[in-house]
Amino acid sequence: MKVGYRWLQEFVDIPETPQQLADRFTNVGLAVDALEIAGSDAVFELDVATNRPDCLSHLGVAREIAAIYGSELRTPKIQLPEAEDHAADILSISISDPDLCARYCGRYIAGVKIGPSPDWLKARLELLGVRPINNVADVTNYVMLELGQPLHAFDADTLAGQQIIVRRADFDEKMTTLDEVERHLNPSILVIADAERAIAVAGVMGGADTEISSATKNVLLESANFDPLSIRKTSRALGLTTEASYRFERGADVEMARFACDRAAALIQEVAGGTIFRDVIDVYPRRRTPVTATLRRKKIQGFLGAPVEDAIVDGIFRRLGFKSKHSRNGWTVEVPSHRIDISREEDLLDEIARHHGLDRFPSTLPKWSGFGSHLPVESDERFLRSRLAAAGYSEIIPMAFSDESTERKFRPQIEPVKLINPMAENEAVLRTSLIPSMLRTIQWNTYHGIRDLQLYELGKVYWDGGEARSLIMAATGALKPKGVHEAEREFGFYDIKGDVEGLLRSFNVAMQAGVNSVPAYYHPGRSVRLGDLVVFGELHPDYVRAHKVRHRIYMAEFDVQLLFESRIRGSIEAVPRFPSIRRDFSLLLSKGIKYAEVEQAVRSVAIPELAGVEPFDRLESGPFPESKYALAISLTYQSADRTLTDDEVDLFDRRILDSLTERLGAELRQ
Amino acid sequence: MSSSDGIGKLRAIERQFDRDRISVADLKSLEDIRTRYLSRKAGLLTLELQSLGKLPKDQRAEFGRVANEVKLRIEAALDTLQATIADREKQTALGREALDVTLPGNRRRAGHRHPLTIIRNEIEDIFVSMGYTVEDGPEVENTYYNFDALNFPAGHPARDPRDTFYVSEHMILRTHTSPVQVRTMEKIQPPVRIICPGRVFRRDAFDPTHSPMFHQVECLVVDEGITFADLKGTLERFHKRFFGEKTKTRLRPSFFPFVEPGAEVDVSCVFCDGSGCRVCKGTGWIEVMGAGMVHPNLYQFVNYDADKYTGFAFGGGIDRYTALKYNINDLQLFFQNDIRFLGQFA
Repeated sequence: MKVGYRWLQEFVDIPETPQQLADRFTNVGLAVDALEIAGSDAVFELDVATNRPDCLSHLGVAREIAAIYGSELRTPKIQLPEAEDHAADILSISISDPDLCARYCGRYIAGVKIGPSPDWLKARLELLGVRPINNVADVTNYVMLELGQPLHAFDADTLAGQQIIVRRADFDEKMTTLDEVERHLNPSILVIADAERAIAVAGVMGGADTEISSATKNVLLESANFDPLSIRKTSRALGLTTEASYRFERGADVEMARFACDRAAALIQEVAGGTIFRDVIDVYPRRRTPVTATLRRKKIQGFLGAPVEDAIVDGIFRRLGFKSKHSRNGWTVEVPSHRIDISREEDLLDEIARHHGLDRFPSTLPKWSGFGSHLPVESDERFLRSRLAAAGYSEIIPMAFSDESTERKFRPQIEPVKLINPMAENEAVLRTSLIPSMLRTIQWNTYHGIRDLQLYELGKVYWDGGEARSLIMAATGALKPKGVHEAEREFGFYDIKGDVEGLLRSFNVAMQAGVNSVPAYYHPGRSVRLGDLVVFGELHPDYVRAHKVRHRIYMAEFDVQLLFESRIRGSIEAVPRFPSIRRDFSLLLSKGIKYAEVEQAVRSVAIPELAGVEPFDRLESGPFPESKYALAISLTYQSADRTLTDDEVDLFDRRILDSLTERLGAELRQ
Repeated sequence: MSSSDGIGKLRAIERQFDRDRISVADLKSLEDIRTRYLSRKAGLLTLELQSLGKLPKDQRAEFGRVANEVKLRIEAALDTLQATIADREKQTALGREALDVTLPGNRRRAGHRHPLTIIRNEIEDIFVSMGYTVEDGPEVENTYYNFDALNFPAGHPARDPRDTFYVSEHMILRTHTSPVQVRTMEKIQPPVRIICPGRVFRRDAFDPTHSPMFHQVECLVVDEGITFADLKGTLERFHKRFFGEKTKTRLRPSFFPFVEPGAEVDVSCVFCDGSGCRVCKGTGWIEVMGAGMVHPNLYQFVNYDADKYTGFAFGGGIDRYTALKYNINDLQLFFQNDIRFLGQFA
């Protein structure tokens, strides 16, 4: 809200410059968004907190200034020559829904002459960015800016039946507002009506039919108080926010309605002539109950951390216009009607903190014993991140929004969390897997010329009714780019497999045998599932193409919770005291026999001294039949209690080779 | 033959050796010269020594002494020569192995943590060291926890579908991590000292300072005797640890429904140390958090004795702290995940 420096000076003496005043505003919580010096005047753009509608006027801001400097507040003086005729004889006003309209004040002014406002009035409004309209409308705006009370002026001769009824709109009732838009109303909307029809959307905007025009002679001036929630709902429903609705939805001062009505009537007479009929028609069915709040002296130190002298507290209350009395252990405070935000002790403590100055209170640390702790998964997550970084993977954090059709491609069975009001159509659900956002990230980077990538995300996925952390690793392009010393090496299936195995090893999770039920988005011949723990492999070429990436993409998806739960704190074994013996063999095997079968055949012999089996070479063709391939394996034997002899190791070898021959028809290559 | 003749010959051999040894360049010529002078059968010195027997007895001792002296000198000279040559040859061999050490090394790809993770860890570690426990909660949240129990009245603008993502009438994407505070207070009685880092959502269009998804960390303390001064001290301590010991913290009164008194928290500008620059718009201060004393209404929702307990709460954006720490002026960089950006973090 904009306030003018000189306008404020009408109500309070300001001993400092606008710039100094701006700093004072900041210190008491009136945020200054901008300060504009305009000649000898200045305009403050204030960001008034939603709980302080009393500061949405010059008088309200002046009241804070009075409290800041300890100066006196001067309220406007009104000269109100009234005619003999009573307004109530001309018009009747009734409120049919007092829950939504606590008070309605009306004044009747006859014989006005509509025209442009005098220069001083126009200048005031223009300085604050309000466009002058005509003298009567300008006065209503002026008084709203001065006192914070929204007002409306009707052309009284357009009212049917000399009646004002404040009521809920009917179903399908229609009305054209001042902005020439036809509004479709319903009973959740409060309207001002005459005997026949709605003539204003209460507290938001008046109607075109009853607008002040150049031909207007007689004016009905409205100064009312409406329920904040009702006004807010109406404003949202109609998509219409006005200076009036802005104030009403925050809460206007119900006791100000009558004073503002008089103030505006007097000003109208001053600038537009006419006769003010006797008395305000003041319908006030729900009188405000006075609010008192108490403050205990010990609470000041107990809550704010330091005592504040009684005299200072008394002064703050006095300057804010709070009537306070000393009680046995503190104060009893009568809260003025404009301070709708104050009802309890903490509210008074807030006032003392603000006006005494937040910087006047000391800085201490809470006194406590005990200890803090991270989330239970934090150490596992940090360990995981360090392993992934060591393996060359960089962490990404993409947006959680996605589109349903993309998500369904990867998680057809999962019902996504759908947003009623997404920012965009392709951001209408929360992602159900980490894959699409990973692919979009790869696409972004390749589009920017970076094709060699190893990325991971440890992030949340969502479904209708739940959410969980998940881990995805992905790699594409070269594992090692070509350099002056080394040839380029593309990332391949066995690299992702090695990285998966490395992670499982570092978490001490046993690698179970793969089960071949991998999702359709993986390459059918280059992917593995290990139970529920991890699926990995090369992404199906169709899915890669759909994301406009030209290179093969390798991925691993982990159930990270299962990974952490499966973690075994393995016992550390001593280094063997006796030497191990390694034996290498070259086997001829029929094509189609998988390495797992070879290892199975080796291990099925169950030799306790067999410490390891490792393949180290594979030849698809050579001096052997085309139906065969050569596989070189090394067997490592180790005993914990003796040095193995060649004879017993020969025996182990023979038993293993026999098993290989029996089970797989393997031949030993000479 | 007299001993003086013999000694003269010995000296001649010695002089001859001194001339010959100059031309020794490698181990082979070294062996040649050693054989030539010291060979047991035909060495020049050996042969000369054989004449010892022909000398008169009284001259033998003198001859023998000189002969031995010459022999030791030649041997010592040959040993020194050998060490020198061996060293030179080793140097030559190593020289042949020399590489162009100015070529770049083989690079192993290192992975990087996301900057938001680095800063989240840093913030968590500071608070854990100060005795706080980290809590988390769901991102798809009930309006009760996100608004009602935090003293947001019905119809509060923050509830508006223009600002908040709705999943159903009562389920939303949480707009702050404060619901975790309520959920924690429901579970435990004071003392409560927690921080809640996490992801939050608001319907803001993507631009350098806004993102519909971002990250927050909030702090809540409820106990007997917690004061506004404790809030100030905690904020000062945290910011000194995070931004450096000379960092100043200032509170400006403000309003949030769930605290009273409420305040905006500024820190002295980390770029100009408060003297005024482009980032702080010349004010010397940067707004980083909202803070305040827990509003007593909140205690009713979680059945805390509002007369017995007081508390403070504050919260700020992890993304904003990260941007300030690394002088990043565009939040979009965090979520684009361009490896040229991510690769700059450890």
